[in-house]
Amino acid sequence: MFRAALVDPQIARASRGLWGDAARRLRRNRPALVGLVCIVLFALAAILAPFISPFDPYAMNGSSLDAPSLTHLFGTDLLGRDIFSRVLYGAQISLFVGVGAVVLALVIGGVLGAIAGGFGGRIDGVIMRLTDVFLSIPSILLAIGIVTALGRGMVQLMFAIAVSYAPTFARLLRGSLLALREADYVVAARTIGASRMRILVRHMLPNALTPLIVQATLVLATAIIDIAGLGFLGLGPADPRTPEWGTMLVDARRFMQTAPHIVVFIGGAIVISAIGFNLLGDGLRESLDPKLKR
Amino acid sequence: MSDQHLLEVRDLVVRFRTHDGAVHAVNGVSFDLAAGETLGVAGESGCGKSVTNLAIVGLLPKPAGRVEGGSVKLDGRELTTLKEEELRQVRGSEIAMIFQDPMTSLNPVLRIEEQLIETIQAHREVAKEAARTRAIELLTAVGVANPESRLRSYPHEFSGGMRQRVMIAMALALEPRVLIADEPTTALDVTIQAQVLDLLRRLTEERGTATILVTHDLGVLAGMADRINVMYAGAVIESGTTDDLFANPRHPYTVGLLRSIPRLDGETGGKLVPIEGRPPDLIDAPVGCSFYARCAWRTDRCATETPALLPIDGGKGPIVTNGPTATHVAACFNPVAPAEVAEGRPLPRTGGATR
Repeated sequence: MFRAALVDPQIARASRGLWGDAARRLRRNRPALVGLVCIVLFALAAILAPFISPFDPYAMNGSSLDAPSLTHLFGTDLLGRDIFSRVLYGAQISLFVGVGAVVLALVIGGVLGAIAGGFGGRIDGVIMRLTDVFLSIPSILLAIGIVTALGRGMVQLMFAIAVSYAPTFARLLRGSLLALREADYVVAARTIGASRMRILVRHMLPNALTPLIVQATLVLATAIIDIAGLGFLGLGPADPRTPEWGTMLVDARRFMQTAPHIVVFIGGAIVISAIGFNLLGDGLRESLDPKLKR
Repeated sequence: MSDQHLLEVRDLVVRFRTHDGAVHAVNGVSFDLAAGETLGVAGESGCGKSVTNLAIVGLLPKPAGRVEGGSVKLDGRELTTLKEEELRQVRGSEIAMIFQDPMTSLNPVLRIEEQLIETIQAHREVAKEAARTRAIELLTAVGVANPESRLRSYPHEFSGGMRQRVMIAMALALEPRVLIADEPTTALDVTIQAQVLDLLRRLTEERGTATILVTHDLGVLAGMADRINVMYAGAVIESGTTDDLFANPRHPYTVGLLRSIPRLDGETGGKLVPIEGRPPDLIDAPVGCSFYARCAWRTDRCATETPALLPIDGGKGPIVTNGPTATHVAACFNPVAPAEVAEGRPLPRTGGATR
């Protein structure tokens, strides 16, 4: 009478796969969803800036230091420029430089980490000592040094931030690869005679990628703060009129007593985007952790 | 058949270099394996069973582990001196392995399909479609229902028994001549164990695959193996056909092993007897018999001299190394007499009992 129940229930359910599983768990994670909403807001602001911003962010559109109103949602700055429009365009810069820097860091760090962890031996030692050197310098100091050496500009900014984060990624990937070297399925792949390169690319890297994805998301948050930080220190984009959040913050700081709303709006934009990536990163870590499966 | 051995292992010596000194993991293991034969290897944890197998396929953990002596010949071809690239060709297509834990031996991020096809394509120039058809055949052969749809599954969607079936399918994908199964059923439920062993026996018999079956479960070997090597401290200490070994164990360690497992045909209420003590530390080079410290049959000679594997009947004829007439050999100066087996301790003897 129990015959019917003996049919393998897993056959009925379509195979969902790693990412399907992760997405399902992510949907149940409230903080991660809040983070996702923040990021979507941030990304929409950046992408739609040219279409939805009411004023030209470079032009004078009102009197100096106007309070927020229906025309100027966030008020105006010293030169009468619309702060709402400038914040939208600032999102564009942060997103572009931030994502660019993290992708660049991932590529540099990923390649170094894969070589170190995949091949080991002397090359591993050399790469790891190199990352030690870079890690021993505080990342913001390293970025300041690089921007100073290369000159100011968006690409330089991107590169500076990428270089300061690449060693972290290299370490992380190497660590996961080392742990995987002894994994049963890697040994099993060797027993079927798979080549070294194939084992590295096909069996080890995909399994080592999760911590990297999580870290990249978390680093995006810090990268956005770093961009603002460098801008704040006067190492932002070469053109001082550029609506970069950090640069704007420096200008606004002078009027903190008389027009505090400017600092609040700009700071709020930085905080929301950074928190968004942070929450999502934490959520990803939880949902991609294979130990929490099922 | 007995002239040409498929696999010939001679005086294999493996050492691991560690901070505490060299670990003598395998100390001169020799055996032969003919096509279609199943060799059981028994012994407790750390006695060198797995290391011997890894050494055969050249997968000792590097740089610590090294083959320091002896030879491994597959069809007359020496494997220990092969280059990595040549060894890679041997692995999988000529010698395949099945591991203990099917839960961790499959890559969690790849579909079963990709892992099976990879195995096939690693050694054969076949189109993806053909490899896929072959994969379906294999899954059917190992008894996976709905193979077409199960190919699309990930390992975590399979139960332990099913995963081990997939592992067997992968191991047999290229029709290897030698299959090394390292505790293939230890991680499985008892009921699943029987199914998997059955499957393994049927498939290897059909294909004439020579099998090395490693386990610490003598019950498994009783049903599966043609011959059994009992290993202790990195050496074979007794070897013979399964029938000989179960009916007439001569080495005190083998007797201990047999007495420590439950038997269906034994008297009810009989006690299981553990072997007291622990295996020796393999860091020190062994002096005398490695089982000396735990042996009830020991003599003074055992402390200083290492016994060699010799025929138990003291016969001077040639030693048959495989097949149904394989010579029963044991490495013991004071072998257990048949009457003593049930007692598990030496009985008073008349006259000099040493051979």
